[in-house]
Amino acid sequence: MSGLVLKGITKRFGGTLAVEQADLTFEEGALTALLGPSGCGKTTLLRMIAGLEAPSTGSITLGKRNITDLPAHKRKFGMVFQSFALFPHLNVRENVAYSLTISGASKTAAAEKASTLLDLVQLSAMGDRRIGELSGGQRQRVAIARALAQEPDVFLLDEPMSALDAKLREEMQVELRLLQQRLGITTIVVTHDQREAMTMADSIVVMSNGRVEQVGSPQDIYHRPENAFVADFIGKANFFDGVAEAGGIRVGDQTLVSKSKFHAGYQVRVAIRPERAALDDAEGPNRLPATITFVRDLGPHREYHLDTAIGPMVVEYAIGEGARPMKTGDHVEVRLPPDALHVFPHPTAAMAAE
Amino acid sequence: MSVADGIDPPLGEETAPARAPFRWSRVLPWGLTALIALFCVVPFLLVIAISFGRKIEGAAWVWDFTFENYQRFFVGTLWPDEVTFLYLQQLGYSFWYAVIASILAVITALPFTLALTRLSRRAQAAWLVFILSSLSLSEVFIVMGWDILLSNNSGLPALFKSTGLTDWLKAVGWFDTLREWGLANPRNVKFKTSEFATILTMSYLVWPYSVILLYPALSRLDPSLSEAARTMGAGNLTVLRTVTLPSVRLPLFGTTLLLFVFLLGTYVAITVFADPSKHTTAVAIYSNVRGANLNAPFGATQAVILLVSASVCLVLGHTLNRWSEAR
Repeated sequence: MSGLVLKGITKRFGGTLAVEQADLTFEEGALTALLGPSGCGKTTLLRMIAGLEAPSTGSITLGKRNITDLPAHKRKFGMVFQSFALFPHLNVRENVAYSLTISGASKTAAAEKASTLLDLVQLSAMGDRRIGELSGGQRQRVAIARALAQEPDVFLLDEPMSALDAKLREEMQVELRLLQQRLGITTIVVTHDQREAMTMADSIVVMSNGRVEQVGSPQDIYHRPENAFVADFIGKANFFDGVAEAGGIRVGDQTLVSKSKFHAGYQVRVAIRPERAALDDAEGPNRLPATITFVRDLGPHREYHLDTAIGPMVVEYAIGEGARPMKTGDHVEVRLPPDALHVFPHPTAAMAAE
Repeated sequence: MSVADGIDPPLGEETAPARAPFRWSRVLPWGLTALIALFCVVPFLLVIAISFGRKIEGAAWVWDFTFENYQRFFVGTLWPDEVTFLYLQQLGYSFWYAVIASILAVITALPFTLALTRLSRRAQAAWLVFILSSLSLSEVFIVMGWDILLSNNSGLPALFKSTGLTDWLKAVGWFDTLREWGLANPRNVKFKTSEFATILTMSYLVWPYSVILLYPALSRLDPSLSEAARTMGAGNLTVLRTVTLPSVRLPLFGTTLLLFVFLLGTYVAITVFADPSKHTTAVAIYSNVRGANLNAPFGATQAVILLVSASVCLVLGHTLNRWSEAR
């Protein structure tokens, strides 16, 4: 088997467009995260990959095999559902062995495989428990073991961490990633949590309103967002609306020096990450007077909320990094390095262009 | 404790015990209990008491404490010289019709209700209103409809004859099979009287109840359970067998049991569609209490035995269920 390829996948529910022209390639053995806000179409896309929904148009191929019309039970794709969907009438071992039992495997073989998988997810002592007796984290492990029992070609997970508390979620993200790396299965995870996606994924597909906004590695997505939505959705960013000029962007009555690729007069939106803006004395363009309106200590880093001539913004420093300590009311200068500025078409201009 | 607690009342002043005001809310539960006892429990106790009474030949009956009626039910009046099981046989038919009709109703209602839960909310509401409204039809009305539908001269048999279906059945040899099953006479198919017509009508009577009873459990069934099974290689039938049915086992069992108990008392459908030799205890009770026999004590005995049998079934069902749950 080689990678999974989606070509022109579109899904309509009546008059609602859930997924629009998705062209994606999922590399074999890689973990890809489908990331986006609620209702962006990521779960619908995953369900089409699983065979639980039929695409309105487009094709899905696995290796050289077209599986677009192949029913779910013939795809051999393991899936972990948001609710885990564990069978309450079966115990843990029976749940894990389900795919083997219905495929006609002998009881001994099914039990052995279930034991191996329960060892893998560190639940070997819980095989005889009822599902109702398990915690959220244990249920998730059972769901993972159950989905892996049929040795799937592709492993799909729909918001697998959403039912877990924050601490357990962090632990499970690492565990799941280690497990996936050990097994080397092509894996697709749906999540709305960018931290989760960045922790686990080799590649992230950012979606919005049924469309694929950007595909790339976590670092690419964070440091080189291709549009204002990605810059806003992944991490934090300060945004300013302006107009492109020769050599820069005019925002209000200020001109910011930047490498803009837009023609003069084009409506743009400028973004800068809070940790890329600086409150220092270094020489350079784009120095703006600012007043500190609020200081927020968040443990590992500190946020300075500023009021500037181009609008409010936030600057972030790791604790121990940066210059002198500052307090609310201080008058400072904020520096916006030109290479840290991301310039995108203004959303209304982009929509008009479409 | 407050400071005032330690102060004695002044001499000459005695603290009179506070009289609680009369409250209707205290009396109401007792009043309701008395009403329930009067209208529900007392008639029931009367039936039990009458079941030990004695019939005076050529006259009415008198209060007594004899087990003759119970003896008659189980071994006949001529015991010990002769043993007859006529009344036990009637009880057997009561159970036979009720068991088969309730299972048939649940089996047919299950796929319908499953499909119903997958419709839009609006369509579900429309169907439920329609099914609920069908409950307002009386047993007499429904049986009359089926009576016409299955009657030899104007119903399905006439249709079979006029469309040539009867001749076709004869030609392919299936007519003889129908005759063996008692569903045909030498000339045409016939449904009256037959166990087939009896059970079919009884199932029809309780079918809306089975939909209404199954609907809440099936609509709560998490669709991701069957989807998960599908992703693990289960086809539709396997999903139904290994996931859906086990997940709704309790509601299925409970619905069947409830319909069974309800059908034990079916009267009109039995009198219209069942052969007189296969009549049930419910028909015999009416015959004794209000009908030709006018033997109220024996009718009461049959009623008590029917009730006890139904209770035993409920307890057995509950025990069986708990046992399977424990497994």
